Amino acid sequence: MTATNTTPHVADKKFPAVWVFATLVVLGAAAFLVGLFSHHPEKAWQAYLINFLLWSAIAQGGLLFSTVMHMTNARWSGPLSGLSESFASFFPLSFVLFLILFIGKGHLFPWMHEDLHGKEVWLNIPFLFARDGIGLLVLYLTGFGYLFYALQLKLGSHEPQGKIRQAIFRVWQQKQRPADAVRQKMTVWGGFYILAFALVLSLVGFDLVMSMDPHWISTLFGAYHFIKTFFVGLGGLIILAAIAHTRNGDRSQLTSAHFHDIGKLFFGFCLLWADFFYVQLLVIYYGNIPEETYYVIIRTMLAPWNKLAWFVFIVCFIGPFFILLNKNVKTRPILMAAICAIVIVGIWFEHLLLLGPALSHSATSISLSISDGLISFGFLGLMLLAIRGFFNVFPELYGVARAAS
Amino acid sequence: MPHKPHVMGLFKSEDHVVSALEALQSSPFEFIRVNTPIPSHKIMQALKLKKSKVGWFTLCGGILGFISGFSLAAFTATRWDLIVSGKPILAFIPFVVVGFEATILFAVFGNVIGLLTQMRIPNDGWLQYYEPRCSGEYFGVLATCDAQQEEGLASFFKKMGAEVKIFKQDKPL
Repeated sequence: MTATNTTPHVADKKFPAVWVFATLVVLGAAAFLVGLFSHHPEKAWQAYLINFLLWSAIAQGGLLFSTVMHMTNARWSGPLSGLSESFASFFPLSFVLFLILFIGKGHLFPWMHEDLHGKEVWLNIPFLFARDGIGLLVLYLTGFGYLFYALQLKLGSHEPQGKIRQAIFRVWQQKQRPADAVRQKMTVWGGFYILAFALVLSLVGFDLVMSMDPHWISTLFGAYHFIKTFFVGLGGLIILAAIAHTRNGDRSQLTSAHFHDIGKLFFGFCLLWADFFYVQLLVIYYGNIPEETYYVIIRTMLAPWNKLAWFVFIVCFIGPFFILLNKNVKTRPILMAAICAIVIVGIWFEHLLLLGPALSHSATSISLSISDGLISFGFLGLMLLAIRGFFNVFPELYGVARAAS
Repeated sequence: MPHKPHVMGLFKSEDHVVSALEALQSSPFEFIRVNTPIPSHKIMQALKLKKSKVGWFTLCGGILGFISGFSLAAFTATRWDLIVSGKPILAFIPFVVVGFEATILFAVFGNVIGLLTQMRIPNDGWLQYYEPRCSGEYFGVLATCDAQQEEGLASFFKKMGAEVKIFKQDKPL
């Protein structure tokens, strides 16, 4: 790190950002609670589920970037890997948020009171929460396993400050592993994380999104879900990198080449997301089986959802596709952050498109209220608090030196 | 045509090549090219080349390909109305596949045409000023100057840390 002693401390208590984030969380929680006690608690739970899926996806996909870079021996990512590791700080919150879903099960799973024609073996609440809970736990623990060694490689020789940092440092010191051994451990944990990512997020896609229409099946839906997760994870990482670059300038060690390269990766996953959507659509189109086509017809051809489908397709694919063809756009952090933010909003609406028709049968209009926005901002506040907390403990990864280092 | 001496500075370090290229720009000598054994972003940046037009050929090929593929599928579908399960004759979802395939094919054609027209080939004089060590461990910076400046160009390269090779051929590049 090239930062000097004169650099501002990321945890400067005078800076009010933490209060802004906390206010967002309080507003979001208040909006959610008000929604729960209103006439339509199912709306509040729908917004909660959409936000749980979206913000967890940003965290899961964010850390995946670092593991993929390590597994492929990529050198271009540089400081981006350190930034992507900060997303793991949201994992504990994500797990707790998942457990809270259990309270809203009556509003979230339309199949609870349906005749499932033998699918009850798979689609029942205890089994669903047990398998998804265990899956997320495994995913997050492997993520933390990878993070532990990734941080040792980057910061193992730094003088630790703060209780958390000192506790981790003591474990590193006890083991006394050389750098090669640490890299080997990272490979093992990173490999498991990537494997768990594909399996667990497929499961989450099937259980928490596809199962809302319990009689509709697409075997590729799981893969579609985890590709989307990496897509939004990259979007979140680019926004974080743009913030780090704007605030810390050269100290962040981020250059326009980094933004160009990760912009290309984001562009690639934009194409892959659209591809995974299209390959499902094409098979359903040719198969023309009523059990499959109704799902697509409701969402893409019939009001009120058809306009939302076009909105999502334009915002998440057509727009980014033509904009990101340009090299100059990809090298500009602020512009890339804006595009990624728009794509993430688009994916929020994509979740609404997938879940909305199942949770609001015979809806004649898409009823969105201010509380949907406030709940989303609450989740945003949680994510920002988690990342800020991470950089307070490991400021070097943000391009800021500790005041006394 | 009077003989213009061609002098090549052979560098072992990529950074020295970059310094030499920057110094050449403010010198009276005429820079010709760099022969490098590896692709180098640093050298590419130091050369300050104009943006290649090949991408435009590829883009035009791709757009033309999509329109051609889509039109081909639509044209053949309208030759004989084969109605299946009430689906429209002009069905956009499957036609995208043909359009996509033709996009890739025509984009490749456009790219090849772009390369052929923009690469300044054929150039039979190219090998006359080539040093085989540039396919091994050396970076070669080739420059030319007026006959009376030959010594100056050679000493310029030496000063920049290069081994110097002077080409005596009279054939123009």
